[in-house]
Amino acid sequence: MIWPFARHRQPPLDTASAARRAALAALAAPDLDQPLAALRWCVVDVETGGLDAAHDPLLAIGAVAIEHGRIALDQSLETGLAQTQITAAANILIHGITDSAQRAGQAAHAALLDWLEFAGNAPRVAFHAGFDQTVLERDTRTQLGLRTPAPWFDAALVAPLLFPAVAPRCRHLDDWLEHFGIAVYTRHGALADAYATAQLWLVLLDAATRERITTARQLQRLLRARRWLSLH
Amino acid sequence: MNAAMPLANSLHRATVDALRRQAPFATMAVDEVLWLVQRLSVAYHAEHAVLLEPDHARPAALFIIKQGAVSGVTADGQAVFQLAAGEMFPLGALLAERGVANRYIAAADTFCYLLPAPDFHALLASSAEFNDFCTRRIASLLEESQRAVQSEYALALDDEQRFARPLASLVRRAPFSVTPATPLAEALAAMDAARIGSVVVVDDAGAPVGILTLKDVLARVTLAQVPLATPISAVMTHAPASLPDAAPVAEALVLMARQGIHHLPLVSAGSLSGVVSEKDIFALRRLSVDGITSALGRTDDPARLPGLAHDIGDLAHSLLAQGMDAENLTAIISSLNDRLTERIIAFESKTDRKLTGLRWCWLALGSEGRMEQTLATDQDNALIFEQADDVQREALLAFAQRVNARLDACGFPLCKGDIMAGNPQWCLAADAWQRQFTQWIDHGTPEALLHASIFFDFRPLAGDASLAFDLRAWLSRAAQRNPRFLHQMADNALRNRPPLGIVRDFVLSDDQTHPHTLDLKLTGATPFVDAARIFALAAGSPQTNTAKRLREAAHALHIPDGELADWNRAFHFLQLLRLRHQHARQRAGQVPDNHVDPDTLNPLDRRILKEALRQARKAQARLAMDYQL
Repeated sequence: MIWPFARHRQPPLDTASAARRAALAALAAPDLDQPLAALRWCVVDVETGGLDAAHDPLLAIGAVAIEHGRIALDQSLETGLAQTQITAAANILIHGITDSAQRAGQAAHAALLDWLEFAGNAPRVAFHAGFDQTVLERDTRTQLGLRTPAPWFDAALVAPLLFPAVAPRCRHLDDWLEHFGIAVYTRHGALADAYATAQLWLVLLDAATRERITTARQLQRLLRARRWLSLH
Repeated sequence: MNAAMPLANSLHRATVDALRRQAPFATMAVDEVLWLVQRLSVAYHAEHAVLLEPDHARPAALFIIKQGAVSGVTADGQAVFQLAAGEMFPLGALLAERGVANRYIAAADTFCYLLPAPDFHALLASSAEFNDFCTRRIASLLEESQRAVQSEYALALDDEQRFARPLASLVRRAPFSVTPATPLAEALAAMDAARIGSVVVVDDAGAPVGILTLKDVLARVTLAQVPLATPISAVMTHAPASLPDAAPVAEALVLMARQGIHHLPLVSAGSLSGVVSEKDIFALRRLSVDGITSALGRTDDPARLPGLAHDIGDLAHSLLAQGMDAENLTAIISSLNDRLTERIIAFESKTDRKLTGLRWCWLALGSEGRMEQTLATDQDNALIFEQADDVQREALLAFAQRVNARLDACGFPLCKGDIMAGNPQWCLAADAWQRQFTQWIDHGTPEALLHASIFFDFRPLAGDASLAFDLRAWLSRAAQRNPRFLHQMADNALRNRPPLGIVRDFVLSDDQTHPHTLDLKLTGATPFVDAARIFALAAGSPQTNTAKRLREAAHALHIPDGELADWNRAFHFLQLLRLRHQHARQRAGQVPDNHVDPDTLNPLDRRILKEALRQARKAQARLAMDYQL
């Protein structure tokens, strides 16, 4: 279920973009009760102009899809967003997205339409997903006036759940990648990080299956129970 | 951004770069690798997970190991090979469109790239490099190992005059060529009509741009099920190696051996002027089976025989270098040695009047009796005759001793165990042989069993063969009548275990004279020889050759064809290793023996050796089962 969110002022869309937005608004929520292996997942990573998810600009989106338990290389998304104001923040030192690269990206609404069409109604996966979710939902709302109902799964929470013995030594994505021997072809590139996270997700899905977790719904419940336990 | 990949994102480019660090992708065009990458998916297999299971289904995808390791495991749980990052599987099954033979299990946490089977076949058709790599990889392990040997031998070949002549002098007919657009059906029909093994594909200017050999046809056309209407350019080897026709023969020899090719196009002023085959080149060697056979037949001077015996050794070496298989090679060595021995026997018997009117037969024993002689061979022979008085007996013995001495002069050392016709013990009348054999069969002492294993492989070599045939027929009946004897033979044979270790690959000898080696004869080839002898005696087969015994007995004993073929392949590989090892020692001026340090073998030969010894164990297991041991 996706519905228009009218309170924000959004830039007017051209006819083609408006049609794409309408199609996206009609997407149904995913069926989280189908077997894990049958579910399509969308693993995403975003690069931003800073570490403030509420305000810093979205610079790039990288995403890959997992279908039938495999990462399909042909289905991958790598898009930069054109910036009206160039971010001078220190974060550029991390991402290496320079001045000219920032300007060269797609228009924000076009990049977001690409992203939403790529992701479809697949559940989203990210490492420290809260950040990516906040930024993407924020811009989806302001640029397109859409809200997406697809659930988010945080690999940073699922990993310690399935590998509790390793968890104390692993805080960051890099720690987990190193533990499973997963290489990143360019660290802090949105697509490269999404691809690495997707490989980690394959390991986690395999482990979940062996823990007799057979659906995304079960995984979701388990995460909620764990959060409840840690809060009480 | 790479100019060749304008539409690729950073993930595609990074994957292309990663793949292009290894064969065959390193030599493939970037756009071909990108095409491949955009069809890949990545799967994860935790350690011990099964990736492929032997069943009748054709594999759905090609696996390329991204990171980790995968083991191939047989039905009985033995790991036969391990594949590492960068390796692809199951090539054979995909090419032949059949199920896999082994179980593929992740030996560590493993990520694989998967290419769907239809895309694999499309890439096979579109990329010559990929095709070449895949089809060459399934060419049996033995063939690969053979190529390595050929290259090694070719480099060591003497630069005699005949190898300095120009290649053009070898060309015997106008070259046969077709254009790249020629349909396969037409090209193959023409090859068949002209009885040639290869066809060169030329461009408009007549320059060679490709070659297709009959051997390629099997993997690239027949197994790949390529329609015969396909243009030849789709399956040919592109840009084949070629040489100017003025180049010396030696250059072609080295090139062919190095690249493992058997046909070489020659060019003159840029266009095709002829094709030479490996056969043309080796025909240059003065030595040939026919040549030596006729020289042996012509010579009436016994003093020349040692020289001819030396030629037999040289021929064996050159046949070994040409890649002849062990079964044929040992048979050729044995039959030439037979001719030589016959010649010596003829000299010694014709000039000896005391032998006139006597019926006798010279028996070849042991490896010569089995037609399995290697390069290191001493004499194992005996004489059988009809009733004779003491004077005649003396004459026969003296004759046999003269033959033994001449054989010794020809490089067949006198037998250390004195198992020779010139020993009165082994120069016997037919009824005495029967008594001797009966005694061995009835007693079953270790010594009797040892003798039986040498003497029961007898074969008539010269003289009146009917004496030998009668003895064989009698022996077949006697052995079959006495199951206890066969049981003892089997028990004795099983004491000799193939040296496969549980912890390490091989169990190596710790004796002082041959430290850190294994005996390829005693613990490698002998288990097959012993098993085959027992099977043959049990089945009443008159054969003495191990491969023939196994083939004949397999039928009677209901041994599956596949198992039999594996045993024979393994046996002949062990024989080939022995021949190579002996050849290397002879070349280094050492006495040839059978003690090989497995660490000196290349990884491929080590792997095959391990498998061959495993097959020896299987043959023994069969023996143990048959005789409830």
